[in-house]
Amino acid sequence: MRRRRLTPASMVAYAIAAIATLLSLFPLYWLFVISTKVPRDAFKSPPDLLYVPDFSKYVQIWKTAGFADAYISSILVVLLGVAVALVVATPAAYALVRFRVRGGKWFRLWLLLAYTTPEFLFVIPMYVLYQQFGLYDTVIGLVIVYQVFAIPFAVWLIQAFLGEVPRELGDSARVDGATELQTLLRVYLPLAAPGLAATAILVGVNMWNEVTIALSLTFDQARTVQVAVAGFRGYAAIRWQEMAAAAVTAVVPMIVFAGIAQRYIVRGLTFGAVK
Amino acid sequence: MTLLARRRRGRDRGGRFLVPAVILLGLTSVYPTLYSLYMSLYDWNWGHRLNFVGLRNYLDLLTDTRFLGAMWNTIVFTAGAVSVELVLGLGTALVVGRLGLGRGLVRTLLLVPLMVGGMIVSVIWKVMLDPTLGVIGLVLQAAGLPRLGFLGDPHMAMLSVVMIDAWWQTAFVFIVLSAGLQALPVEPFEAAEVDGAGAWQRFRYLTLPLLRPTILVVLMFRTVDCLKVFAIIFGTTGGGPMTITESVQVLAYRMAFKQLNMSVSMTTMVVFAAFALLVLLAYQRLLPSGEEPA
Repeated sequence: MRRRRLTPASMVAYAIAAIATLLSLFPLYWLFVISTKVPRDAFKSPPDLLYVPDFSKYVQIWKTAGFADAYISSILVVLLGVAVALVVATPAAYALVRFRVRGGKWFRLWLLLAYTTPEFLFVIPMYVLYQQFGLYDTVIGLVIVYQVFAIPFAVWLIQAFLGEVPRELGDSARVDGATELQTLLRVYLPLAAPGLAATAILVGVNMWNEVTIALSLTFDQARTVQVAVAGFRGYAAIRWQEMAAAAVTAVVPMIVFAGIAQRYIVRGLTFGAVK
Repeated sequence: MTLLARRRRGRDRGGRFLVPAVILLGLTSVYPTLYSLYMSLYDWNWGHRLNFVGLRNYLDLLTDTRFLGAMWNTIVFTAGAVSVELVLGLGTALVVGRLGLGRGLVRTLLLVPLMVGGMIVSVIWKVMLDPTLGVIGLVLQAAGLPRLGFLGDPHMAMLSVVMIDAWWQTAFVFIVLSAGLQALPVEPFEAAEVDGAGAWQRFRYLTLPLLRPTILVVLMFRTVDCLKVFAIIFGTTGGGPMTITESVQVLAYRMAFKQLNMSVSMTTMVVFAAFALLVLLAYQRLLPSGEEPA
């Protein structure tokens, strides 16, 4: 694209971009506002634009039964889930990039199907099976089920990152007597390390935000943050401000991650779709 | 897929690298699917009686107005959300692509909604759209307009969840199409400009056709994702008012976990997953072959 001067057309473009940005961010800002006002002002009409933020709701939710536990569950699920996904997906991606794997075409289709199939086709039978095997309402149970979307996603991303490593490097390692596994570990992985980190972050964000499966396969022991947020709806009345505070607590780490890894996130989201 | 491991030839050492993935995916996708298919032939409700009923669950389902309604709701939701997201995402991508200074910042900020989980999205919009407490109602009132019911209004509930999904997922369409636009060759556009083609003509006869494969990939991912819609409906309307926004997945959740109609819920998901599969394969046929989705 050539550089343009500030023409009327580009002023319109800036105005539209500003509106789009405002629409994207305002709801999150408002969520924060609701969570930090004192109760009598939270839904006042017209709302105060300037106010002294009050963080007592945040203290309160941490004391609410189970919210801290849910937070810990979520962290465990993400750490373990991402670790399993990377360990399993990396060799698969390597094979797809370096060899003409027999049935590779079918494996790729399977990845797409596993990733796109509506969750409850798997989740309802898994609920039954997990009840039998004692995996219902456990962190391990979630970690296993989450692989159904984590592995395909991770394979696609890692494949793209490994594909950027020059083939000749791998070939010469093989000539020097390295096994394929050694070639993967010593030649490819160091070069693709930033890509793997980006993959880890994106898979982690997906797992942290997942709620459909967590809602069905956990109860109170391994309840994740997303499920706990839903819990603030209560039976009698919705505890709006606590729910908003809980939601903010669940969103902020993801936005921080997105900020850290933004360059890779753009690449991760657009990989393959554009060639 | 275990054939992969067996069939590998002497020189094909790739197969064994797939084994862990094949095992885990088999355990989490193939096994439960087979279990669903099997149980859909019974009348199991968590009780002790378990009778083989053959295809009766399937036949019942095809005349079940609740299921057919949920199918219709899901299709309406998907068609609505995907079109809105495509138009807004493509428009934003074209506009942001023209920006000079600040383009990177705008792009980053626009991605923020994608980092928010579906349940949180529900919370945000339930708070904002609440008829008595919500800020959008206050704004409407201040502008002298009537306060609207949004999620609680039978005429507006579906539109509301479509717009919620658009707020959440338009950024995906935007970012992929932005990358697609950047990857377009420059020469045809320069030639067209020399030949005096206007902005609309360049968009209609160059940008759109050149961008077609990328648009199709985006549409495919958005369509299958919208068919799965659960969290933003479960978390806002719960499928209501009445069953106006009840998607198939919301219905299946209710059947399985509230009513414990295990066999019926599994039958529902088998039929629905088959439908989603057909949609996916239709998109695959439209895509240029050898294209890697993701």
